[in-house]
Amino acid sequence: MSGNLQVLLLDDEPIVGRRLKPALAKIGCEVEVFENPEQALIRLGQKEFDVVVTDIRMDEIDGMQVLQFVRERWPRTNVIMITGYAMMSLAREAMEKGAFDFIAKPFKPDDLRRVIAKAARALGSEIDFDAAEVEKANG
Amino acid sequence: MPVIIVSADDFQQGREIAHRVAGVLGYRFLGRDLLARVAQEKQVSQQDLARALDEPPGLLSRRSRRQRLLSEIEAACLEQLLEDNVVAYGLAAHLYVRGVSHVLKVRIINEPEQRANILAQTGNIPLERARKLAQRQTGGERRWSQDAYQLDQTDPSLYDMVLSLGTLEQDKAVEIICDMVGYRKFQPMTYSRKCLRDKALAAQVRLALMERFPDIRVEANDGTVVAYIQSLKKDQRKKQEQVRQMAGELPGVRHVEVHVIRDYFGQAAQSSR
Amino acid sequence: MAEGPPQGAVQPTPELDEQAAEVAEVQGRLGLARDAEQARRALLSRPRFSLRTQIYLGSFLAFLFALGIATALVVSFHRMEGKIRFLEIVNDYVVEVEQARRFEKNFFLYDTNLNDALDNVFRAENILNRNAEELAAIMGDNWRTAMLPNLQRYQELLDKLGRQGAPSPSLSKQERLRLQGLVRTQGQQMVSAALALLSKEKTALAKVMVRSRQLLFYSMGILLLFMVANAYLLGARMLSSINRFGQYAHRIASGDFTPVTPTRSYRDEFTELALAINTMIEELEKREAVLVQSHKMRAVGTLTAGVAHELNNPMNNITLTAHMLQEDYDELGDDERREMVGDVVKEAERAKKIISNLLDFARESGSQLEPLDLPHLLQETITLAGNQIKLSGIKITFQTSGNLPRVHGDSQQLRQVFLNLILNAIDASSKGGRIQVLVLPADEPNYLAVKVIDSGSGIPAHILPSIFDPFFTTKGKGKGTGLGLSVSQGIVAKHGGRIMVSSQEDKGATFTVVLPVTTIPAELGAKE
Repeated sequence: MSGNLQVLLLDDEPIVGRRLKPALAKIGCEVEVFENPEQALIRLGQKEFDVVVTDIRMDEIDGMQVLQFVRERWPRTNVIMITGYAMMSLAREAMEKGAFDFIAKPFKPDDLRRVIAKAARALGSEIDFDAAEVEKANG
Repeated sequence: MPVIIVSADDFQQGREIAHRVAGVLGYRFLGRDLLARVAQEKQVSQQDLARALDEPPGLLSRRSRRQRLLSEIEAACLEQLLEDNVVAYGLAAHLYVRGVSHVLKVRIINEPEQRANILAQTGNIPLERARKLAQRQTGGERRWSQDAYQLDQTDPSLYDMVLSLGTLEQDKAVEIICDMVGYRKFQPMTYSRKCLRDKALAAQVRLALMERFPDIRVEANDGTVVAYIQSLKKDQRKKQEQVRQMAGELPGVRHVEVHVIRDYFGQAAQSSR
Repeated sequence: MAEGPPQGAVQPTPELDEQAAEVAEVQGRLGLARDAEQARRALLSRPRFSLRTQIYLGSFLAFLFALGIATALVVSFHRMEGKIRFLEIVNDYVVEVEQARRFEKNFFLYDTNLNDALDNVFRAENILNRNAEELAAIMGDNWRTAMLPNLQRYQELLDKLGRQGAPSPSLSKQERLRLQGLVRTQGQQMVSAALALLSKEKTALAKVMVRSRQLLFYSMGILLLFMVANAYLLGARMLSSINRFGQYAHRIASGDFTPVTPTRSYRDEFTELALAINTMIEELEKREAVLVQSHKMRAVGTLTAGVAHELNNPMNNITLTAHMLQEDYDELGDDERREMVGDVVKEAERAKKIISNLLDFARESGSQLEPLDLPHLLQETITLAGNQIKLSGIKITFQTSGNLPRVHGDSQQLRQVFLNLILNAIDASSKGGRIQVLVLPADEPNYLAVKVIDSGSGIPAHILPSIFDPFFTTKGKGKGTGLGLSVSQGIVAKHGGRIMVSSQEDKGATFTVVLPVTTIPAELGAKE
């Protein structure tokens, strides 16, 4: 693994990927963005990512299926669920199926950065969450 | 790590179990000790606080004062629960912490007969009287929770798990709770922490505004506070402004929205739903 | 309570509630009041002919008739009395005349005095003179020419005879015989005329008596007939009205709230009843409108939960974009900034659209009947329920046969019906289930059918008959009011259609709404 954290971001809302890709790049993530769950699954079959961020409610394939696929294929990978349909039952289901974290939409870029930093820490690869903070402070 | 809330109809054993669970898991135990602190900070009597939690509503009890005392407890307790790894007991937390996925809510029940036995022993009273007392306690619990939180705390659907001491030893109950909390389902996450934070903030805002607006209902979402107050049409604007100002000064509040409910009956119907 | 409901359970905001209630009231007032007012005017504009009037009139006519009979009887008795009196007079006269003749005979046989005979003649003449009026009344003036001259002539003859008799026997025997003959003939004539008169009048009297008896008999018959006819008409009038009102009651019970309008050309006590029923209908309808509205608000509440979640997506896009714009403002090029601001605008627009659908449904612009394109209406309804469908993970398919005629109805209310059916279907289906919505011509001509088919658990046969009953629900406490289908049925009935259901346990249920094609059901129903 090159020093960068490998992140796959899956959300059928294109804007999410467009905004989060640069946001995560700032803290040293290499982000691959997908809007189509099928293509994401194909890619996930090929490559082991450090972190997978996925929406839950999508048309053809459910985020939960992506979660299960990743947990089976790459047990080391941390999966972060993001959803606009957050409910206690859904949150518990996601956790039960092995999600690393569960974030309700709408969230701020920092919210996700913080969670990704935590995920990286859990993987043993400390990432510089403050990179963005420093940049912000400077800018 | 998770938060555990224990409620029991057998007060003594419930407390023991909660305490032991905290010991086994190395969690903090949050019990009635909290009342002493609240009493000190808010200049109210600790006895009154305890009574607000224990005594079913009587004809002469002043509901608004009781609700205020309960709000004090609620706000203080929620603040404590924000830090994980807590076992809460005896603070009615099962009634105001709902919909938070990392909170495991456990109800401990015991056979009426055994409860009567314990009451007879500890209170040094005849068994027959103890039986009646036990029965009254159950009815009292129900009435109390319905009056204070519009919920029946003997309703099993409020809980994630109901353990019966009629079939389980205390040891086993402790073991089961400790096992259960290990499930990933009850792991805290960004979303559930946010939910709990929202609740804590809402409780703080409500507490701050309660004296002025006894019927206020507050919801919070990530620093945005929505307050529902009752008002006659003519006072509406003034009151809205007041709420906005009072709530806006509180820490953690970024934006305040005030909804005025003019339909008293509709409100009554809604709050009892 | 500080522990408000979590994200999901959203109550309609108070403003919305209030607004909706007002709208409902206005709607109720407008639509109904117009019909009711029309009906009222029509009911009252007819001439009044009350039952009471009919009863009074009937009795009065019967009384008049009876009075007529009584008068006729009195008159005929009076006439009979006259006749009897006449007969008595004639009888007395005959007696006197016969006595005179007896003396006359004695005179001839034994040459007795004629004075006695003259006495009798005098008395007979007296009788005639005394009763001149009665005689004149019956015989007219000819009694003078017929009876009195005869008597006077007889008297003259007797006088003559008497003078010739004892005091003057100078009269020749022939002359005496001639006079004798004349007297006898005259006497006989008189008696026979009087007797003939007597018998004629007796017959006439008998005839009058028979006639008056017949008159009495027939008039009684006619009176009876009249009274029977009157009673029959009165009864028929009352019974038909009672039947009519029975039908109204059934009609109202089945949810058709068109006001009662006139069926007859006059008004009476039943008009008061009709007015009272119209008032009742108005009240019922107002209540129904409130019920429909409150049920709708429940549906809105359900949808709000979905919308609240759906809103999170555009909100998230806005939040992320705004934050990144703020964070990187200085590094970004103009194009990128413009693109991001454009995204915010677009997403805000999207959020607005998500809510406006629901708001349109919640806030109504009054009840209005208009030609509706059913497939379009259903498409809208499905969009409205879209979040609910997405939330529950159910697939919904919509099919329609092209070129369907329009349906006349209230789009808001019909949307509520279809929404209710679709939400029910969602509730009945499990995750991954399938709901089919079809719009097609119904089996009967001039009707369209909307079918909502789910593949859920189905409805057990034993509760199937009661699912349209108010307050019947299979959902848990606090989840269903049991009014949805009942309210829907009311709405559909008002549109001149009906809802049917068929279900097989474990195979799902099919709800079919049948609606008439471009007629005006609300007014058709009002033809009674």
